[in-house]
Parts: sequence; C-alpha cells; structure tokens
Amino acid sequence: MFEGVEAFYRPTTVREALHLLRKAKGTARIVAGGTGVVPGGDRSVRFLIDITRAGLSYIRKRGGAWTIGATTTMAEIEDSAEMRMLAGGLLASAAAACGSVEIRSMATVGGNMANGSPAADLAPPLLALDAEAAIAGTAARRKMPLADYLAAVCAGKMKNALLVEIVFLEPSAARGGWCFQKFGRTAVDISLVNVAAGLQLDARGRVKWARIALGAVAPLPLRMPAAEALMTGRILDRALLAEAAESVSDTVHPIGDIRASADYRREISRVLTGRALEQCAARAGYSL
Amino acid sequence: MKHMELRLTVNGVAKHWTIAPGDILLDVLRREGYFGVKRGCETGECGACTVLVNGKPINSCLMFAAQAEGAEILTIEGLAKPETLDPLQEAFLDRGAVQCGFCSGGMILAAKALLAHHPHPSEAEVREALSGHLCRCTGYRKPVEAVLAASTKKRPARAKAAEVSR
Ligand SMILES: Cc1cc2nc3c(=O)[nH]c(=O)nc-3n(C[C@H](O)[C@H](O)[C@H](O)COP(=O)(O)OP(=O)(O)OC[C@H]3O[C@@H](n4cnc5c(N)ncnc54)[C@H](O)[C@@H]3O)c2cc1C
Ligand code: FES
Ligand code: FES
Repeated sequence: MFEGVEAFYRPTTVREALHLLRKAKGTARIVAGGTGVVPGGDRSVRFLIDITRAGLSYIRKRGGAWTIGATTTMAEIEDSAEMRMLAGGLLASAAAACGSVEIRSMATVGGNMANGSPAADLAPPLLALDAEAAIAGTAARRKMPLADYLAAVCAGKMKNALLVEIVFLEPSAARGGWCFQKFGRTAVDISLVNVAAGLQLDARGRVKWARIALGAVAPLPLRMPAAEALMTGRILDRALLAEAAESVSDTVHPIGDIRASADYRREISRVLTGRALEQCAARAGYSL
Repeated sequence: MKHMELRLTVNGVAKHWTIAPGDILLDVLRREGYFGVKRGCETGECGACTVLVNGKPINSCLMFAAQAEGAEILTIEGLAKPETLDPLQEAFLDRGAVQCGFCSGGMILAAKALLAHHPHPSEAEVREALSGHLCRCTGYRKPVEAVLAASTKKRPARAKAAEVSR
C-alpha cells in the first residue's frame, strides 16, 4: 500500500519535524496514531514523518488555559483525572466514545482534527469550548480558532502545516453543565451524529449562555449560533429545549450515505440536541 | 525499494530487522513468523491483528512498523510460559471460548492489557475491552465469561458463571 515511501522519519522536536516537512515539498505525510493515514492508503506519499516522539504528548494548565499537545492519545484524554473533571468530563467522554480500546490507544487529538472528518468526535466538544489551534507552518507559529482550522483543513489548505496543540480556557463551573452525545450503529462505529452542549444559568434559571456544536451533519463540525442565541437570556424550560433542538435540526444539512439517510440524521440531530441540553440542565443542578 | 533498520523487542527477545519504510507492522510480524497475529479486515474493525505495544493493545494493521522502533511487543506467541498456559488462555479453554481461534489471540491480549490495569473488572468493563474484537464463531458470551473467570481465579467456577447475566 505504501510501497512508494522512500523514508520514515521520527523527529524528536517540532523544529526537526517542520524542517522535514519543508524539505519534502508536499510529498510527505505526517503520521501520529496512523489510524487515519494507514486505512487512507495514499499511494502518492513519499515520506512519512512520525511526530509522536516530538514532545507533543501532554495535557497542561497554565493560568486559566488548558493546552493539549497534538499527539496526546484518546486513551490519555479518557484516563486523565483532570479531563474527567473539566466541563463535567466533556472531552474525556468524547474521547472514550472514539472507536475501540485499540483505536483509542493509537488515535490522537491532532489526527482527529487534521483528518478533516466531519464526524471527528473531539471536534464538537472542542468547538463548544471555543478552542484554538496552534499551528506551525512554513511561517512562524500562529493560533487560530479551531473552527477556522477545521474549515482550512476541509478546503485542503493545511497540507504542510503542523498542528502543535489545542488551547482553551477553563469554563466557569458555577450553575453550569456540559454533555457529549454520540449516536452510531454500534459501540465502536463512527458517529452518525455527535453533539456537544454546555449551558450556564443564573440564579433564577435564566440561560446566561449556551454552546451547541454538532458533527457529521455538514461537511464540517459546526457550532449552532442560532440555537445558542435563541436560548440566551430566557428561562430554561422544556419548551425552550424543544425550540433549540428544532432550530438545530433546521440548521444542519446532513448528507445521506451508507450509514444513514439525510432525513434520519436531521431527526437524530434534533433528538440528540434535546438530550444533551436536558443533561446539561440536570448537571447544572436545575430541574426542568 | 528503500530499506531501513528496525530494532525492537518481541516477546522478550531483542530483534533487528530490515524493513521497508512504508511497511505495516502486521505484515512485518507475519513475515517474521508470528502467525498468531491474524490478518482480518486490515481496517481496524475486527481486532484479530491486536498485539500489545509497550503494554497497550493496538491494531497492528493500522501501525507502520517503523513506529515500533525501540518498543516492546507482545504477541499471543509470547503469552504462555514454556510449560504452562497463561491463566487467560486456560480460562478461554475451560469456558469453550475458542472455536476456530481466529479472534482468540487478539481477544486474549486485549484482556491481558485490561487485567494488568484492572485486576477485577466488571462485566461491563470486560465487554468494553473486547468491543474492538469480532468473533464469527462462539460469539461474545463465552469470551466475556472466560475473562471474568480468569480475573476471579480464587473463587469457585460455578459461582462465577451465575454472575454473568447475558
Ligand atoms: C476502526 C476505526 C474506528 C474509528 N472510530 C472513530 C470514532 O469513533 N470517532 C472518531 O472521531 N474517529 C474515529 N476514527 C478515525 C480516527 O481514528 C481518528 O480521527 C483519529 O483521531 C485520527 O488520529 P491519528 O492520530 O490516528 O491520525 P493519523 O492517522 O496519524 O493522521 C490523520 C491525518 O491527520 C494528519 N495529522 C495527524 N496529526 C497531525 C498534526 N499534529 N498536524 C497536522 N496534521 C496531522 C495526518 O497527516 C493525516 O492526514 C476511527 C478510525 C478507525 C480506523
Ligand atoms: S486486521 Fe487489524 S483490526 Fe482487523
Ligand atoms: S473463535 Fe472463530 S472467530 Fe472467534
């Protein structure tokens, strides 16, 4: 499958990885967990650059900001005591929902973002957390909103950029709740639809802010600004949840494929959004 | 085709192989005679190719061999002692959890990794650990029973069987 590969590199620093990437002039492929690259079987690849030894496996907190290195695996996120606490375990539960135990000990957060799959399970939670992507390319290192990074990957513009880490602020925990929901055919299948949601309420049960992001319902994982806006400032009740879920199902534009029809995905989007928001309310200590 | 050197440990024995840079670990292990590592789907779906890399279960069909530089690999061939089977292997035999055996090596290694971290897992944890393994013969009930039996070795076999609800 990869007979055309001339060399396999294992750089031990980001600098070295970038140098190799530059030298290959577009003929190299970055390898992290390999769970996307290997089944992809791209025969045009001439150089493989394994970045898992470049010092990018970490979960750190500096000030109020969390940083997750690109080669941190799903298993490491799932097992991290800090990630199990953060936003009610939002990221840990999404990581735990990715494939099998075997897949999770290989698959990385960076590969999950850089793969360009609309169904990537860590994308909705990270979008809901307003995450940024730190990129090292031919130019200097820069940060961009994760949503912009995902859009650039989708447009094929990130081929020679190295995703270094993901950064996001610790969300306020007071009267707040978060939830990740995934719907697939089996326990280890990729998502037909996935949803991450978060809410914060004031003392009277009014929504201070809502965050809703969905995957597998458009070419890109997406935030749902219309549904978020319609909830903001209003008292949380079942009617409001239903309204938000309805707005989401109006916004999404899923494809129909071998796994599910477009209509089915749209209906699942409504149902999963409702469930996620209901859970958020419960975790915020609010009874509907 | 270009070649490169690969140094690693397989089943406790240091190895030095020549590989192609694009070689997949599954192919290299089988080429070197580890036929207990099975070629099933080659897409990460079936778990038949599972080996432990530094104690972690991975699908060898999804890993480049060159990624295993310096790693310690355990294949099913390395589990038994010369004279005695691993308790998990015994349990799989006792419970009739093996028919054709194609899935068994992968399942047993996944279970081995589970028990190393959770010596007394719940049935749900065992099912989760085996969720990446497809069996076309016995199904899943007997392997799950076998892993639970191996994890509670000291208790009588009959009492354990009754605990398994499904
Ligand atoms: C059987 C199976 C089940 C799966 N189930 C799920 C699932 O449930 N949920 C899910 O979300 N995904 C799933 N996936 C998809 C895949 O495993 C994940 O997207 C995974 O996170 C990819 O990470 P990786 O490290 O293995 O990526 P790799 O295969 O190493 O890389 C994927 C792509 O990203 C690029 N890349 C990797 N890291 C970087 C970086 N730091 N900077 C720039 N580019 C980079 C590579 O060049 C490649 O193009 C599954 C895959 C398989 C085979
Ligand atoms: S052969 Fe590797 S998972 Fe099926
Ligand atoms: S025993 Fe035959 S596939 Fe499981």
